[in-house]
Amino acid sequence: MIYACGRCNYCKGVDFNDRCPEIFTQVWESSTARGRMAIARGILEGKLDYTEELAERIFGCFMCARCQEECKKAAQIDVISITKAMRADFVDRGIKIPEGGEKIVETALSSGNIFADTPQIHNQWTEGLEFTEGSGTLFYPGCLASHRFKEKTNILVRLLQAAGYILDFLGEEQTCCGTPLWVTGKLENAKQWAQDYLEKLQARGVKEIITPCPSCFRAFDEEYPELLGLETFPIIVRHTSAVLEEIVEQKKLKFTVPINKKVTYHDPCELGRYRDIYDPARKIFEALPGVEYVEMARNKENAFCCGGGGAVKTMFEDYSDTVAKERIQEFSSTGADLMTTICPACELNLTQGTYMVDIEARVLDVAELMAVSAGIVDEEILESDYFPED
Amino acid sequence: MVDIKKVTKLLSEVVTPTRVSDKDFDLFPYSRDLSPAKQKLPTHVVIPESREEIQAILRIANEENVPVYIRGGGTSHWDAYLAQEPGIMIDMGKMNKIVEINERDLVVSVQPACTWAKLDRELRKQGLTYLCSEAGGPAMTVGGSIMKAGSGPHGTAKFGFHGNQDVVTLEMVLPNGDIVQTGSAAWPSAGKFERQCLGPDLAGMFIGAEGTLGICTELSIRIRPATDIQERLLATMPSLDSVIEFGHFINRHVGDEYLQGIYLWVDPTAPEVFTLMMDIFGYEEEIVNHRRDRIIAKVKELGGEFGDRAPADDYFGHILTGLTDLFVAGVWHFFGSGTLRIDDIKFMYDIWKQELVEKRGYKKAGFGGQILPRRWLAFMVTNYREPAEWEELVEMAHGIDELILAGPVIPYGVGGRDGLRDIVASRDTGYYRLLKTLKKTLDPKNILQRGIFIPEEALK
Repeated sequence: MIYACGRCNYCKGVDFNDRCPEIFTQVWESSTARGRMAIARGILEGKLDYTEELAERIFGCFMCARCQEECKKAAQIDVISITKAMRADFVDRGIKIPEGGEKIVETALSSGNIFADTPQIHNQWTEGLEFTEGSGTLFYPGCLASHRFKEKTNILVRLLQAAGYILDFLGEEQTCCGTPLWVTGKLENAKQWAQDYLEKLQARGVKEIITPCPSCFRAFDEEYPELLGLETFPIIVRHTSAVLEEIVEQKKLKFTVPINKKVTYHDPCELGRYRDIYDPARKIFEALPGVEYVEMARNKENAFCCGGGGAVKTMFEDYSDTVAKERIQEFSSTGADLMTTICPACELNLTQGTYMVDIEARVLDVAELMAVSAGIVDEEILESDYFPED
Repeated sequence: MVDIKKVTKLLSEVVTPTRVSDKDFDLFPYSRDLSPAKQKLPTHVVIPESREEIQAILRIANEENVPVYIRGGGTSHWDAYLAQEPGIMIDMGKMNKIVEINERDLVVSVQPACTWAKLDRELRKQGLTYLCSEAGGPAMTVGGSIMKAGSGPHGTAKFGFHGNQDVVTLEMVLPNGDIVQTGSAAWPSAGKFERQCLGPDLAGMFIGAEGTLGICTELSIRIRPATDIQERLLATMPSLDSVIEFGHFINRHVGDEYLQGIYLWVDPTAPEVFTLMMDIFGYEEEIVNHRRDRIIAKVKELGGEFGDRAPADDYFGHILTGLTDLFVAGVWHFFGSGTLRIDDIKFMYDIWKQELVEKRGYKKAGFGGQILPRRWLAFMVTNYREPAEWEELVEMAHGIDELILAGPVIPYGVGGRDGLRDIVASRDTGYYRLLKTLKKTLDPKNILQRGIFIPEEALK
């Protein structure tokens, strides 16, 4: 696959830094997909070797797949798979990977989540909520939605329950899905992790998982079957985008409270480019009264990364921040009041982007707008001066 | 031998350490271009942001006797910008700004690494366009195209290759660091509006020189109003003679400006089928319709047949915008390419059909070309698998190049030792000797693009 690179330079973009967040932050040709294929070829042919210095280029990739979106037209190279394999090579050969990468895996393995939260802290978002053990439909928030966005996650569950979904929750048994393992190339424990998790879910009678996190969604739906040698995962996995769209389409809730805001939407890479899921949020906005929807210049398959992908946030925070600021500036140029998305990692990075760019704007989950319009939460959460307690 | 650490330090002082690298993994991506040229590693990569930084880099290169190579989009088809010797690779990527769109004089000024797609995107916001397009336009740079006098499948019949008439002024940094403006820009109080004035056309000296005589830091080129009126035709002609007669018809009876391009394609699986793809250019629907009607009448008179335009849409679409499926059958190589008189296309076609397809049994390369004003730019192009088919491909392509260039064909590009350099040098023409004299005068240490176009030994 590496030799399929025609060296056409399309991955780099029309403006040379408008597509790839890595070259946007690192400037080098070695930061592009074309450059990575050249490096991979050099390694394959024995002319180059993995080094600690090289790690910045390989682990500095946001794995947003924007390059792949271009490459799939011309050469159809799976740049993400190659990047993952190269990261795993670092680990296999005992070459030091960026400290943040080591740390996130250690933390996830030792504490069960990427923030080293105690179960009590990790589950604070459930306050006031009731779950039905054994319902078969598991709500799986993942680490970010549990730790960082307690209010958002609480609102999301209230919305789902109001729409009639009977949800189970793992409670203190919930641990990280394992994404940090394969994103950092530390695969030695990954298979066992997936095996253990599957057994735990099956023992609890889980028939379906609903998760707001695209990484967790893909972990269960794509990575686990691959690790376990299964054709498909034996449990249905749905991202909340599909469930929220279902609520609208099947009219499970009435949306009567007008939003009265100009709204834009950031396409999460792992939903959009990875899974071709672009429409649900846009369809939902059409159903909400008072939403004036406007697209950002780079949207859908052309969307720029939020800066939160590829675990770059934990390994090269400055690069991640630079990309978040760029995306927030793009949001600002639309004149929209609200930035929305449907991924906790994007919400985190973009929220921090608003602080760094110093603009008063909220980054909301699509579910929060639905909850306001359905009268489940007060519309004050839409205001730029609203600060959630979490 | 290049003192790598010393040069790194010196470069870091003039462009900041964040834009200089001597790390092997940063150099590898600069070791190949779009061609099958052998891998050639530079010793450094440096990313300047201004002409002053380029001046400083050249000063260091001269003092340390280190050759300097120039990289735009990195998509040369003939080894024209790879480090022929260990040296500094200048990545021009950050000098990609649109400096000014002068809609009154219909001139745009850009930095050299501005891509054609970026330029056209911004021009069209103001109802303007450059009109010509390069194959792979979204990634190819204006400076790179013009410094190689490039063209593409969507050049205009009226205006020809890039740099033919459309270049108004150039800003060049000479190998000794001097900055030169050409055309009307040479007269500081005048502006950028005219190519030929104030003595010799020095822009022409740099265009096509593949960066050997100077580094381009700014260009101004003619632009024109955009039009939404489009007419695209696809015809199949019964013979190459009919294609030739159609070419003459366009040039003699219809007028050069009629078409944005006539693109000929002959597939190796059907070497007697001559497909023409045509985009008709005009600002008024009435005029475009008139031109279309005359072209239709002539094609029919010559025995041609019109077909569904969808294949032409598909072809132009994937060549000019997305490169769709271009590398699925392997990477690309252009060879046997050059410029020739309209009547001489038969010479190239015969070599393609008899030497390549029939004698060598190579049935993966198509034959194509476009009628530029009063001449062809023709080529053979193939997909091949790297590395398995590389050696056979290179040997075969070089053999065809030699045959082609022994005839009435002028090489489209020259390049380095894996390009056509040696074939060009062996001709020893007065033109080539003058070029060597110019090179020796402007670049006595042979710093810039050493080994490109002119072998180093030819300059001693």
